[in-house]
Amino acid sequence: MGDVLVNDKYETFVGLEIHIHLLTESKMFCGCKANYGDEPNTNVCPVCLGYPGVLPTVNERAMEMGYVVARALNCRLSRKTYFERKNYFYPDMPKNYQISQFQEPVGVEGYMDFEFGDEIKRIRIHDVHLEEDAGKMIHAGDMSLQDFNRAGYPLLEIVTEPDLKSGEETEAFLRAFRRTVRYLGVCDGNMDEGSMKCDANISINLPGAGLGTKVELKNMNSPRFVRRGLQYEAQRQASVLDEGGKLIQETRLWNENRDITESMRTKEMANDYRYFPEPDMPPFCPDDAFMAAVEEAQVELPLTRKHKLMRKYSLSSEQAEFIHDEKGNADYFERVLALGAEAQSVYTWLSSDVQKELNLLNMTLTRSPLSAERFAELLRLMEEGQISGKIAKQVLIDVFEENEDPSRIVEKKGLSQISDPAAIARIIDKVLGENEQVVQAVREGEQKQKGFLVGQIMKETGGRAAPALVQKILSEKLS
Amino acid sequence: MKKEELLTTASLALLELEEGEVERLGEEVARMLDYFEMMTKLDVDGLEPTTHAFQKTNRLRADVLNNNNNNNNTNNSFNRPLIMENGNDVEDDFFVIPNVL
Repeated sequence: MGDVLVNDKYETFVGLEIHIHLLTESKMFCGCKANYGDEPNTNVCPVCLGYPGVLPTVNERAMEMGYVVARALNCRLSRKTYFERKNYFYPDMPKNYQISQFQEPVGVEGYMDFEFGDEIKRIRIHDVHLEEDAGKMIHAGDMSLQDFNRAGYPLLEIVTEPDLKSGEETEAFLRAFRRTVRYLGVCDGNMDEGSMKCDANISINLPGAGLGTKVELKNMNSPRFVRRGLQYEAQRQASVLDEGGKLIQETRLWNENRDITESMRTKEMANDYRYFPEPDMPPFCPDDAFMAAVEEAQVELPLTRKHKLMRKYSLSSEQAEFIHDEKGNADYFERVLALGAEAQSVYTWLSSDVQKELNLLNMTLTRSPLSAERFAELLRLMEEGQISGKIAKQVLIDVFEENEDPSRIVEKKGLSQISDPAAIARIIDKVLGENEQVVQAVREGEQKQKGFLVGQIMKETGGRAAPALVQKILSEKLS
Repeated sequence: MKKEELLTTASLALLELEEGEVERLGEEVARMLDYFEMMTKLDVDGLEPTTHAFQKTNRLRADVLNNNNNNNNTNNSFNRPLIMENGNDVEDDFFVIPNVL
């Protein structure tokens, strides 16, 4: 896919600021619980409420996750990182500054590759830095209600260079990014719950003229809204320029109900955060053991995984896309194959019958009663001819409902296939005897009627007769 | 010091200055800035900035919940009534302030 020109005329530049909530037990600088959805103001203490005289202390796990992400995004890792105070007045942050990073973030100058259509695109990462989240406010009538459970929640901000070229491309990048942090196990990536947020900077200009006037876009709560917000905004900017107007640097909000972006009140003054080093927290210099742990935490990243699935198991791009979306599913897939199953059949089952059950029961594969071992066993029973494909589908449902091994279910319910030719012949004789008119019709050339006889035979055996044997013996008897 | 700079600094600190104060503070702040000006004369080429007065590094805490005064067992933070007592205005377990939107 080539770069999309807005109105066939302008080049678009999009850069992102992505915030992710790190999956730690406790907050960034205190031991309060970092949890979404608790009763208001239950997970708070003097540190995260910003009382004077408290001593914030860095969460070791959050620091490690910061380096893990920076490393996975190919950043230059800081050998001496420290926090700074970002000063501003807003009641969601009662101490009047946010503890963040500025001069020496955990990582700088990285990149991330992702797939867009048939192309691999590379987006440069400006920096990766740790900070704390602010409290939450609910505005009601003449008052604002404050809940500080979220205050001090560990946040990692990833800032990209303005390398994205369209709303579609940005959506694809964001989905790939979300998958990456989920693979690394540092964030659940739920944009609707706010554990991943994304603001975008967008400008347009004539090709070759470089960046245009930047507009910051906020309030997009899903990758889809990011795409639509950016598409709308690129069009809006193009219209302004086409009409000979001038763009102003401003912040706009995506209004998902009206499908448009709206200007926020423009501040009279540009932000001036007066960063300075946080005096309460000494710098952090990762030692060899820490760096080794960061290396240890690296995983095969989604794009590499996808290509491996395609190469090693001959999956198509779409099939591999489905399997690799969640790391747990890709691991599961490979475990089932290691137990002897065949790739195409595993994919087919996973994407149809298994997926159907999971949706029905609102479960994830890795937490379902269908362990990789049970799934491999089910496929083996079918492969060995002990059960038919149709019975296998029933056994699958039973595994989900009864949480038992497929072999146990087959045994308990007497579902194993009838593959004794003499037994099948007896059943066929019985069915033929009961349907003499149909038999006559088939013998006179009405082959379509044969299907009816097969159906009756399967019905008689509860679907357990080996289909190939039924076909063979029935043909012999009808000839 | 330019008057404009003083007013910008004041507004960043959410201070409202009256005309007389602008005059007086302008001079006083200018004297402070002159004093700091001395430092810019020092040759600091090749020196790493001292971001922290102490030389200690790597003061981290393990990612565990603290066990503070907790009488409702739903969390490990300070108990809510105790914290809420410090709010000027409190409603339904929220701190209440004038609408800032």
